[in-house]
Parts: sequence; C-alpha cells; structure tokens
Amino acid sequence: MKVFAAALIVVCVALSSGARADDLPGGKCLECHLMTEDGVGELWQDDVHARAGIGCDACHGGDATQDDSELAKRSGSGYQGELSASEIVLSCGGCHSDVEYMKVRKPLLPVDQLQKYQTSVHAKLLAKGETRVAQCASCHGAHGVREVNDAKSPAYASNVPATCAHCHADADYMADFDIKTNQYDEYVQSVHGKALLEKNDVRGAPACNDCHGNHGAAPPSIDAISNICGTCHSYNAELFLASPLAPAFKEKSLADCVACHGKHLITHTSDEWQGDTPGATCRKCHEEGEDGSDLALYFTDTFASVRQSFEEIEQLLGEAEVKGMDVTEGEDYVEAARQGVMQARTLIHSFSKPVMEEKLIEIAGNQAAALEVGYASLRALESRRRGLAISTLLLLFLTLLVAIKIRTLPPLG
Amino acid sequence: MSTSPENPDRALLAWVKDRYPVSKFVDWAKHKTVPIGPSAFWYYFGGITLFLFFIQVGTGILLMFYYKGSSDTAFESVRFISAKVPFGWLIRSVHAWSANLMILSAFIHMFSVFFMRAYRKPRELTWLSGIALLGILFGFGFSGYLLPWNELAFFATKVGTNIIGVIPYIGDPIMYVLRGGEEVTGSTLPRFFALHVALFPALLTTFIVVHLFFIQLQGIHEPDAWKTRPEQRKTMPFFPHFFMRELLFWLITLNILAVLAVFFPAELGIEADPFSPAPAGIKPEWYFLATFEFLKYMPAHVGPIEGEEFGLLIISIGFLGWCLVPWIDRGRSRRITTIVMVAGVAILAFLSVMTYLGHVA
Repeated sequence: MKVFAAALIVVCVALSSGARADDLPGGKCLECHLMTEDGVGELWQDDVHARAGIGCDACHGGDATQDDSELAKRSGSGYQGELSASEIVLSCGGCHSDVEYMKVRKPLLPVDQLQKYQTSVHAKLLAKGETRVAQCASCHGAHGVREVNDAKSPAYASNVPATCAHCHADADYMADFDIKTNQYDEYVQSVHGKALLEKNDVRGAPACNDCHGNHGAAPPSIDAISNICGTCHSYNAELFLASPLAPAFKEKSLADCVACHGKHLITHTSDEWQGDTPGATCRKCHEEGEDGSDLALYFTDTFASVRQSFEEIEQLLGEAEVKGMDVTEGEDYVEAARQGVMQARTLIHSFSKPVMEEKLIEIAGNQAAALEVGYASLRALESRRRGLAISTLLLLFLTLLVAIKIRTLPPLG
Repeated sequence: MSTSPENPDRALLAWVKDRYPVSKFVDWAKHKTVPIGPSAFWYYFGGITLFLFFIQVGTGILLMFYYKGSSDTAFESVRFISAKVPFGWLIRSVHAWSANLMILSAFIHMFSVFFMRAYRKPRELTWLSGIALLGILFGFGFSGYLLPWNELAFFATKVGTNIIGVIPYIGDPIMYVLRGGEEVTGSTLPRFFALHVALFPALLTTFIVVHLFFIQLQGIHEPDAWKTRPEQRKTMPFFPHFFMRELLFWLITLNILAVLAVFFPAELGIEADPFSPAPAGIKPEWYFLATFEFLKYMPAHVGPIEGEEFGLLIISIGFLGWCLVPWIDRGRSRRITTIVMVAGVAILAFLSVMTYLGHVA
C-alpha cells in the first residue's frame, strides 16, 4: 500500500512538472533551462511575460523549436544571448513604448517608460557608456518579472527603498559616482520611511520613486520641490507658494520644503523648530530682532500657550470625570481644538500672523468651551451634593416624624 | 365621626362611603396582623422590593421621554439624558441603582422566606410566584443593561446570549430570537427595549398582583413554634403599626438611593461598535456573576457533553430543586428540614463566593 502511494505521488509530481513546462511559452529553451543551474527556468514560472504567452525568443531571439542548443542559437536565428544594459532598455522599451502593441495586451499600463527613462540620470550615464547604472531589469528583475502591485516584486512600493538602496547604499559601488550613500539609512528613520516600512502604508507613504520619479529617476530640481511635496501635502504647498517666503526662497535659491524639513531624513515637526534659539530652523536664515524671527517667536509663544491650556483643560476634565461627572461634551470641544491645532500647524506655511490669528480664535473658543464644561461639571457636582444634603435632611425629618408617629401608636400586645 | 356637609373632608368621605364599601376595607386592614419576633425585620424586604419597583416604573417612564431605542440613536440619547436633560443624570442613576437594590432586596426576601420555612403548605404557590418574580427581575436587568448601547453592555450581552445558546435544543432558537439574528447587532436593541418596557412590566405587574393576592388570602406566615405554643403568639396590626414601620424603611431606602446616585452616578462609557474587538474584562451584572464564574470553571467536556452544557445542567437541577423546596420539605421530617436548610446555607455560600471570585477576576 505504501509503495503504491509513493508511486502515485511520484507520478503526480512528474506529470505536474511536465505540465508546468509545457504550459508556459519558451519551447525548447525552457526545457533546457529548467535543468540548468542558472535558475532562469524557475524564475520564468512566475514571470508576467511568460503568463502573457511571450516566449524567450521575444527578447533573446534564436529558434525555440530546436532540440539542439547549437541549432537553436545558430547564426541567422537572431539569437542575441545575454543582453547588455543598453539592449535591455531597447528590448523592453520596444514593446512597452509601442502603443498599438500594449493597447491590446495591457491597455491600462502607461507606455512612456522608455521616454521617461531617457530623461533619467541612469539613462544619461548609460548613453555615455556607463553600464553600471540601473536599467529595466535592475529594478524589475529579468526572468521573474512580476506586476508592480505584487508584494514580491522588487518594484512593489514597500520594496522600492531596498531596491534603490541595493546600489545607492553600496559605498563601493557608488564610489565613482560622487553621490552620498546614506539616503536609505536616513529614509528609514524618516516619517515617510516609518509609515511605509513599519506601518506598511503602501498607498499613503512615499518611497524613493514618488519624489524622484520611477523611470525618469533624477534628483528633483529646486523649482520642482514644492510641486513634488505638494502632490501629497497640497494645502501646505499652496500656502507656502502664496506666502512671502516663496519669492524670498527663490531669490536665495533655497529648495522650498527641503530648506526647513530636510530631504530623506524628514522627521515630525515640533514647536521648537520655530524657536528663537540659535540652531532652530527659522534662525538658519533670520537673525534675532528681524521680522521673520519675531514671527517665529509669535508662533512659538502661541503654540506654547495653546499647549498649556490643553494641560489645564485635561486636568480639569479629569478631575470632574473622576468625581463621576459626564464630561464627554468637553472632550468633544478638546477634540475640535486639537483638530484646530493641526490645521494651525499647516497654516504656519502661510507665514502670516493674521491668518494664524483667525485660526487661534477658533481654537481658543473651543478650549474655552471645554473649560466651561469642566467648571460647569464641578459646579453641578457641588449643586448635586447640596441637593443631596437638603434631601437627606428632608428625608431624615420625615423619618423622624414617622418614628414619632410610631411611638404615639397604641402599644402592641 | 361626623359626616357633616360643612366639613369638606368629611363630606367627601361620606360621598365615597355611600357608594363603596370602604368600611369593609378599613376593617380588613385593621384586623390584618403581622407577626412580631426576632425574624420580624426580614418581613420588610418584600415591601422594600415593591417600593423599589414603583421607583423603577416612575424613573423608567421619565427616561422613556428622551430615550431612543435604536442602535443609531440610543447611546446619544442616553448621553443627552445624562448631560443635558434637567435632573436626567439623577433619574438615570436612580433607575440604575434602584434596579440593583431591587434585585438585592428580592434576594434577601427570598432567602428570608426560605430560612423561615415560610414556603410550606399552604404557601407553595406564593413561593413559586416569588421565584417567577425574581426571574422576571433578572430579565429586566439583562434587557435594560444593553439599552445605553455602550461597549461594555454590548459585549456583556454577547456573552450572556451565548450562554443561553448553550442550552440544548431550545438554546439556539431562543438566542436567535433574542438577538434578531446570528449575532448581537443593531437589530438586538429594539427587541431588548420591547422586552424591557412592554413584556416584562406586564409580566411583573401580573405576578406581583398574584403574589400579593396569595399573601392577603393566606396571611403572613407565622413561626412554626406558635402552633404548639399559642401563648407565645405576638402580632401587630398591619395598619398602622406595620405600615408605618415599612414607611420608615422606604424613607431610608430612598435616602440610600439618593446617596448612591450622587456619589456613584451611572456611567456611560464609550459607544458600542459591533466591529471592534471585545475589550478585556467583560463581565455581566453582579447578579449573573455567580453563574458566569461557575461556567468558567467547567472543563471542556464532562463525559459525552460539553462543559458549559454540564454547568447549565447542574444550575438547572439546582433551580428545579429550589422551586420544589415546598414539596421536598413539608415539615414532616426534621432530618429532611435540616438537609434542606444546610443546602440553603450552602447555596448562599456558593453564590457569595462565586460572585466574589467573579468580581475580583
């Protein structure tokens, strides 16, 4: 029985393996490469092109119908063998930039990858003969190409930083290119890196390509910074571009958002950034006593005052709640005030005192309402206790009356 | 007594007397007696339970002025009652505390009746109607707990209805009807509301009338020793002697309620979210804690049946025995009486210990 079962398993495995090789395009190439140690045959199993029915010859040429490898790769068969970096770009781009071809097979996929790639630093260096630059296969893989929304793809959002870092964090590899190699280390500590890599926010958090471009990867120009950050932080960008700082930054050739927030190591902002102490963000440009420094001080003092009010409110509401009072209405006001503070932090990008003052009036209104709920609760508590004391006295009086009445009743027995 | 038309009070009394047999009722009240003795104190708990029921009815009607019994509006309406309605917090807190005190008082009343052996012939049906009343009070408590639609109540109801579902054959259909589906959802709330304000009040009122009718018909139970030594018999008139003393207890109870409502007002917590995970430490109300805790100690399986089913089987047998006490202990055998009394003490100790363990767990 055991022998029969083992034989059945062997037959099933053999049949499934045969079926696997037969179902995929690749012809005789695949039959050989499934047995070679280069892993090409295995990778091909999961390749999107294989599943789309595209054979080896589409990229490598040759005659896939031949059993004999010599015949398959013979002269005149168009066999190209291993493609060079430039050939890969042209080979992939040959189909992916062909609108008619792609329209039939993958209509929603953009067809401008090659065009964009040619604007990238990678392509420009490649054109100069530098072959160590990234081309299509560097990021997407060669024989195991997967859809970019497949979590196993190196081009999947949360895999992109590691894919780029494969080259850009390698100091030896990048030694000849005169660019830093600490971007990945900085990125993983940034708010964006933490959101993408720790919280797996693949839809919200940006990876390298979201700022540098996918196929047209290049360092953003100064003029492009607010547009790039503004893709997600649109209101901040809008406020900044309308602020008096935008022309001033342009005049001094400062990179808009980057000048204050940094590049790859973008951390959470804090009120200390606007402080008037040397080293604070605003003091990078504004000397003490300047209008800009005064505005920074105004922001700092304002937010400190708002913070202090929150502490007072929390203490008050907490006290009322511990004493059994319902303070949910006060908590609603606190929440509204906190929302207001978040909006006020965004309004900093307007660098305008009147704009900020308008929001602060709203925040102060909500904080005052929350405080009033807290004080009203404590007053109500006092009033409840007074009411209890009065009702207790009344009930005691009634109890006494009843007790006296009982004593005046005819004796028992 | 003058019935002179010049005196309006007397005139009214005369008008009533002309039409209704008031004198018969007054004579009956004057001749109705209550035993006096060391156990007399416990007689007041029946009346206290009734008083708390009146408070429940009054505060319940006031709460219904503002309460909205659907899952979208229930929590906010209770919050509105607590925060905005004048004295809404007081009415809600009194309703919640009064419910708890009423069940406690009913428990004390039941055990005092048990230990005074007042369940014996001819009061078997009074005993049974009393147990039915306690069961209805449990129903009130269970259905009312969900009505604020807060997180704690939601998950406690889930656990509670799960336990009902464990009952073989009938458990699942009952659970389905109570929940209005497979799970506790927004459909459950209107059902519990309907039970709480329509079915249970009707049942409770009916059984209270039946219970009081039996008591009036048969009189209040007197100590057994008086049968053999009638010279020891001491009683007091129900009216005004017992009534005035009862009134004294009602006033004290009212004061306790006011203190509890002011210093420990009913909490609301956070709104129920059927899609959120159950928070840690979900427990039912204190009067279900003993059962809840007991079921927790059950092993996964006992023989061929599941542990929880086995636990419920034991509780059901115990409950059936409790109902049949008047027929088990008929006062003919001292040995049986002793066994029943020891069992009563054991049950009381078991309920106390399990409730305590459930509370500290």
